[in-house]
Amino acid sequence: MTDGHLFNNILLGGRGGSNPGQLKVHSEGIMWKKQGGGKAIEVDKADITGVTWMKVPRTHQLGIRIKEGISYKFTGFRDPDVGSLTTFFQSSFGITPEEKQLSVSGHNWGEIDLNGNMLSFMVGPKQAFEISLADVAQTQLQGKNDVSLEFHVDDTLGASEKDSLVEISFHIPNSNTQFVGDENRP
Amino acid sequence: GDSRVGQRNSSDLVAYKGVNDLPPARDLIIHIDSKNEAILLPIQGAMVPFHVAMIKSVSSQQDNNRTCYIRIIFNVPGTPFNPHDANTLKYQNSIFVKEFSFRSKDPRHSSEVVQQIKNLRRQVALRESEKAERAT
Repeated sequence: MTDGHLFNNILLGGRGGSNPGQLKVHSEGIMWKKQGGGKAIEVDKADITGVTWMKVPRTHQLGIRIKEGISYKFTGFRDPDVGSLTTFFQSSFGITPEEKQLSVSGHNWGEIDLNGNMLSFMVGPKQAFEISLADVAQTQLQGKNDVSLEFHVDDTLGASEKDSLVEISFHIPNSNTQFVGDENRP
Repeated sequence: GDSRVGQRNSSDLVAYKGVNDLPPARDLIIHIDSKNEAILLPIQGAMVPFHVAMIKSVSSQQDNNRTCYIRIIFNVPGTPFNPHDANTLKYQNSIFVKEFSFRSKDPRHSSEVVQQIKNLRRQVALRESEKAERAT
């Protein structure tokens, strides 16, 4: 496998914090290996359903969404990497990456976007945060208008994650029409 | 069709103008950026900013195993006694983040976080109410 691109020091983000590793993007798919061994992720190009770029502080984040609704986030790309990888994804995978913007306004109102297993909270056209529903242990309707999502508590989390998210709740006003008739369950 | 034109509300307040204004994420822990009146919360591997003016209250609680729970509650529509926040009227068709709970292993850090958010919130609220007074 001599084709493709190799990137060192790419962080794989997730709820357990992020881990540095090496990402290889080649004509058959992508592969990420944790630095010092251990976790590895391999995705066949046929399983990729979407690719996104997002500018995050100081660097770029690559989002890879795969068939089962799972998505991976890799952070640590330089400006020129974005262009060269975009071209590569187009020519080798036949996928044109979408550009997403990060909301930095700090507002707490917006819309919820559900796509596969991902819940995105959008402030205007920009994304504030994303939650993988695979990490949600249970959802509860509280009162008429509030929905809470409780996350799995993982006691094996590394020391890198000091504060871990255990619960989030959304307030969905009566006047909101997005989730009418869907038992208010995002 | 907003009849409340002229009334200042916290939607005027933004934490950051652009992505590059965010402080670089060092550790994935709750971080307070007093200069920008923002708090940054670690949500699934990313640091997410919220303007402190959106926050209604913050508290922490410790269980028997010295594990702390930090609870951050935001302004949402229908909150009583909340005259400063016209957002909740203006954005009634939106969905609101109401609450985040975090678990923390470090009691000192948790109480610091709570104290810092409270202080910052107080400062911003005071400044905003003074501004509103001057405007009338």
